[in-house]
Amino acid sequence: MNLPPHITLPAKKRFAEPERAPVYAMVGNPNCGKTTLFNALTGLRQKVGNYPGVTVEKKIGETYSQHGRPMKIIDLPGAYSLASRSPDEAVLRDVLLGRREDTPQPDRIICVIDSSNLERNLYLVHQILDLGRPVIVVLNMMDMATNVGLRIDHKKLEEQLGVVVIPCEAVRGKGLVELKLAMSRANLPLAKHRWDVPAPIAPAVAELSASLCDIDERPPLIARAEALLLLTDLDSVRVAGSKPISDRTVEVLATWRKRWEGNGTDWSATLIRSRYEAINEICAKVLHRTREQGLSFSDRVDAVLVHSVWGWLFFGLIMAALFFSIFTLAEYPMNWIDAHMATLGNWVKSAMAAGDLRDLLTDGVIGGVGGIVIFLPQILILFFFVGLLESTGYMARAAFIMDRPMSKVGLHGKSFIPLLGSYACAIPGIMATRTIENAKDRLVTILVAPLMSCSARLPVYLLMIATLVPGDTMPTTTKVGIMLLMYLIGTVGVFAFAWLFKRTLFKSAPPLMIMELPPYQPPHLKEILRQMIERGWLFLKNAGTIILGISIVLWFLTTYPKHPDPAAIPDAQIAHSFAGQAGHIIEPVIKPLGFDWRIGIGLITSFAAREVFVSSMGVIFGVESADEDTTPIRDALRAAKWPGGAVLFTPLVCFTLMVYYVFAMQCMSTIAVVKRETNSWRWPLFQVAYMTGTAWLVCFIIYQTGRALGY
Amino acid sequence: MPLSRPTLFPLCQLSVGTTGRICVINGDDSFAQRLREMGFGEAALVTKISGSTTSLCQVNGTRIALNHGAAMSILVEALPSSAR
Repeated sequence: MNLPPHITLPAKKRFAEPERAPVYAMVGNPNCGKTTLFNALTGLRQKVGNYPGVTVEKKIGETYSQHGRPMKIIDLPGAYSLASRSPDEAVLRDVLLGRREDTPQPDRIICVIDSSNLERNLYLVHQILDLGRPVIVVLNMMDMATNVGLRIDHKKLEEQLGVVVIPCEAVRGKGLVELKLAMSRANLPLAKHRWDVPAPIAPAVAELSASLCDIDERPPLIARAEALLLLTDLDSVRVAGSKPISDRTVEVLATWRKRWEGNGTDWSATLIRSRYEAINEICAKVLHRTREQGLSFSDRVDAVLVHSVWGWLFFGLIMAALFFSIFTLAEYPMNWIDAHMATLGNWVKSAMAAGDLRDLLTDGVIGGVGGIVIFLPQILILFFFVGLLESTGYMARAAFIMDRPMSKVGLHGKSFIPLLGSYACAIPGIMATRTIENAKDRLVTILVAPLMSCSARLPVYLLMIATLVPGDTMPTTTKVGIMLLMYLIGTVGVFAFAWLFKRTLFKSAPPLMIMELPPYQPPHLKEILRQMIERGWLFLKNAGTIILGISIVLWFLTTYPKHPDPAAIPDAQIAHSFAGQAGHIIEPVIKPLGFDWRIGIGLITSFAAREVFVSSMGVIFGVESADEDTTPIRDALRAAKWPGGAVLFTPLVCFTLMVYYVFAMQCMSTIAVVKRETNSWRWPLFQVAYMTGTAWLVCFIIYQTGRALGY
Repeated sequence: MPLSRPTLFPLCQLSVGTTGRICVINGDDSFAQRLREMGFGEAALVTKISGSTTSLCQVNGTRIALNHGAAMSILVEALPSSAR
């Protein structure tokens, strides 16, 4: 049955089963305040997951209707159009078209609009109205529209579109009650959508939607919308988990495309123009300008903050403040944790009888996990800064400033956002690459992102810096200097490898970048705090599970088998143990870098996560120290010797070890995320090989040169 | 009347603080499609806020950043300041 495009089947067929909770999809342009609205509606009743096969966050929340019935809301990624150019936009399109098997097709759609930019936001709404689902349009950020001199007649807009329109200020909670009332309505009006497909493409749309309807079993309106997309989707992004289209439909599509190529007419432009004409007609009726639209506050700030001189200066200041606060501010809570861990260790030692269990608790559990927990304050500060940059809108400016240096290696400024995020952790960094449109650029960014020094390297760097110079004589600035050097080496590595990859494996034309810079806004401290708690908790959970587990296993492996002579010195015992034997096997490989078998054990265990190195050193050298007091790891390391009596952790070795951690791929979670993102084992394995290979080579050069120079 | 056509130049050459009208979009099809979808299509008015290689422009009240390659493929005509 072929219905005219503006008539839909009665809504009750889809929406009358009272037992099933209605599913709402929330869509909108990036930066339209969609997430704020989603949080305001659902509160903490959210489930964050992933769409299988792609690292696009899947957020499902729950709220209650006016009558207390539960309603599900899916927060879809922000997009400018259904014609997708990046994986997040592809997920939006596939969910709305019902192409994903893992997500139910939404019953109703909430379109969130940034009212200060009505025309552009209506473009996506216009495409969505084509789908013939009940739609609620939310005019968000009405206050900002008023501020820039725009008045929107929402009643008239409702008349024009034929769907419910609700003015709203999600940040202040205004309009939420009205929105919930609308969502509770059993019958939402369907759009009286009178936009006609431009005549020249109408026959193609008709043939294609017939094929989609008959062979792919799409409902008629969805078929029409999908046909429109397929015809203009030039290099359509396909993501895993999306249902394929039948061969017949693909054939029809190819025939029409060929015909158009022969004509030389730009159908996509025709279609966009036709939609914008319809939108402008609507806007002429509902949008009133109360005054001339000049440059906004954000525009004026941007004239300074992205300036070719002042912009760089400000960017440098921010980075300097970030690194300095990691050292100075974090010191107090760190000393506090350190003191309590030491007290706890000594208390256990005095309270328990000597034996294996006591050693397990003090050396394995407290020595291992305690060595890690101490770095929590610094990690929180790092996430606070990254959250602040994102929340205020500065992150996009940083990308803008970095566009020029990035273009030298063949990437564009957008790739810098994942890289800057990787200073905190490569996992959210890699997930942020989903906004990069070009697949090759995205892959290059993913491959180099883990070279940015992440927060898990901090413990290793700090331990090595503390071991490097005895006593607390070293001024903070020198420590910061060494630390900055490590970050610099990592960053230089990123650029060098990006350059190399773009010239060899992933040759492509220099990418074209279009990026919207969101308006500046005061930071959402609550949201930043939530992220910090989430990340801090994840870190502690790791410390309590993976690191605790590895520490206990490692303690076991260093304690057994027992040395035949019970009075053997700890050194002989550890050398005799399983871990010692394993360490000795790899020693020949790492000896040219100045590392002995005990460091080798740390390198192996920290393959799970870099910070495990610190806990492993705590276990290995803690076991060794014969004295009754729990000594800080750095003192134990300083006391460590080669069999010949030479100091193991010379400044050169400490430095080489830090550089090793800059380059080596030592993180299981990153490997897992890269596997999921690229959908193959090829790239994560390649990443392990090139990163760890580089680490060995660079360390070899540094250590051997250092030795030759007499260090 | 080809003679009366105003001179076109790439967007990156538009000087800071002035406004131009987009006339031609070159570059690959999917890039052009996205530009148009973002309201950055032919006949839109752009005001340059900053930059000569990477450009920051205001269109319709939003700030759009374009890298050098992108700004090169958009041709604009300058508007007299009175035309805004």
